[in-house]
Order: sequence, then C-alpha cells, then structure tokens
Amino acid sequence: MPTQHLKIPLERVGVLIGREGSVKSYIESKTSCRIHVNSDEGEVFVECDDALSVFRVAEVVKAIGRGFSPEKALKLLDDDELIFDVISLSNLSERALKRIKGRIIGKNGKTRRLIEELTGAYVSVYGKTVSLIGYINQVRIAREAIEMLINGVQHGTVYSFMERKRKEMEWEALQGIIIERGGENAEEERGVKTEADETEEKNTEEKQR
Amino acid sequence: MAEERKAIAHIFSTFNNTIITVTDITGAETLAKGSGGMIAKADRDESSPYIAMKLAMQIADKLKEQGINTILIKVRAWGGHKSRSTGPGAQAAIRAFARAGLRIERIEDNTPVPHDGTKRPGGRRGRRV
Repeated sequence: MPTQHLKIPLERVGVLIGREGSVKSYIESKTSCRIHVNSDEGEVFVECDDALSVFRVAEVVKAIGRGFSPEKALKLLDDDELIFDVISLSNLSERALKRIKGRIIGKNGKTRRLIEELTGAYVSVYGKTVSLIGYINQVRIAREAIEMLINGVQHGTVYSFMERKRKEMEWEALQGIIIERGGENAEEERGVKTEADETEEKNTEEKQR
Repeated sequence: MAEERKAIAHIFSTFNNTIITVTDITGAETLAKGSGGMIAKADRDESSPYIAMKLAMQIADKLKEQGINTILIKVRAWGGHKSRSTGPGAQAAIRAFARAGLRIERIEDNTPVPHDGTKRPGGRRGRRV
C-alpha cells in the first residue's frame, strides 16, 4: 500500500486537521486515503489505496503546510491540472529574508495581490518559502515574476512584465477555444504530428544531407 | 491478478520537454522509450500535458505487448540549481499510465537535490535580458 511521510510546521497542524477534524475527514472521504497526524512533532503520514492519490494528497498537505488556506489547497484535489510549486528562500540571510519577503508582499499586500490578479495563481509567503497554486502557465509567470523580485528588479518592471505575459496568455486561451471547437482537425491543431508531417520531415532531412 | 510483471517508468519532465524511459526493475534494460518531440509538431508543444498523455499512451501499448502490468514511477525535474518542480507533462503522463490499465505501485520523486552544489547563474543583479 503506497504511503508517504511529510513534515509540516506545528502551527499548521491545526489547519490541516480543521475544526473537529473537518478538513482531514473531507480529504479522507474524497480520496479513500487515511491521514495520520502526529500533533507533537508535526509529522504527517499519508496512506492510500492507489499510488496516484498519495501523490496528490501529499501535495495538498504540503500546500497547507506552506501557508495556504484549506479552501485554496483543496482545489488541488478537484482539478488535476492545478500545480503546486514552492520557491525556497532558505539561502538568504535573516535580514535579507525579511527584506525580500517584504518586496514580494508589498505595502499592505499590494504586490502579492497584483501577482495573484495578473497571473491568476494563488501566492502564499510563509516562513522561508513562497508557494504558488495555479495552472502551469500561471505558475510559470508568477514564478518568474517572484524570481525577478528576489533578484532585485524594480516593482514597476515586474508589473509591466506580468501585464505583457497576461496578454499573451489571454491570446493563447482564445486560440485554445478555437481548437476545441474544430472537431475533425483537433488532433492536428493540438500539435500532434500527422503522417504528412513525418514524410515532410524526412524529406527535409534528406535534402540537408 | 495473473503473474505480476514489473517495470520502472522514468519520467523526466521539464518545461521544454517530457522524456519517458521504461526499464526493467534493474534499470539496465530499456523496454520502451519516447520523448515529446516524437509526437509534437511544434517545438513549443513538446512539454504540453496533451502530448505527454499521448506519449504515455503509446508507451503503455508497447509495455502491454511485452506483458508488463505493474509499473513503478520515478518522476524527476531538472533539479540541481535549476527548477526543482516538474513540468506540465508529468501529471498527465502518470494519469495516462493509470488509465491505460497499468497498475501503479508507487510514485517517487527522483529529482536531483544538491547537497550544496554549484552556484546558480545570474549573479547578484539577476538575469538581465
């Protein structure tokens, strides 16, 4: 039976369990997994019937441990395409850590809010990590923006970077809709090679020789 | 279930490609392999979840021909001083393996983690484009 061991901060144990165990039992009912929590050490032991859900539940537990609210973390269970990503800040000194976290959060949380609004991903700044939950392209942009902030790029530059990327994302989403509608050519449009492409590739290869 | 025949599926998933190599349990003998570029038409699609799904389905067919019914999955990302999170293809590939009727025994994260290795490029002021 697939299992996984995790460790989360002690103060997050209560969030993982929830009021009278509500969060924990919700995860268990949704996935046929059992979660054993050691409240003294913060150790979590996930045990499931199938390997696939161990992987996913472990991510939910990690997300809660990294400061996300259960509502946001539990979206990972509903949507398979959501991704949980962690950026570590543990290589910074204590003073730099405070400063960089401040840069990412911004005055009254302005920067963090803007990152969330412009990319669509959820951002959590907690302890020595910045964590993200979102779709792959959202997380990618948010991650790049946060890395820019860590590296010392000015906030204005980062905002305009995200603005530009958001427009690109919207454009791609629009094309995605067009592809979904086209039933017959959908396979080709989603970027799968057809036989014609393969022969063409061979031809160009031979020409190059 | 009939006789259990195991294999290891190594999924190397980055933001630009997904590479799957399936070996026997010793890891020395390759049973099937493939990458995003063998299926995708455009270079930018090589890492997409849809392509990863197609790739995993193809590989699952090859495995079934060889009588494999149980797989152990080892996922890895670039690791080291590069991104330690897996690309978009990993999740999709794992799910496709499960749907193809292969029993997944375990999923492991095999991303290389440095015990303080080399320095990440970029310098103090970051990458200047």
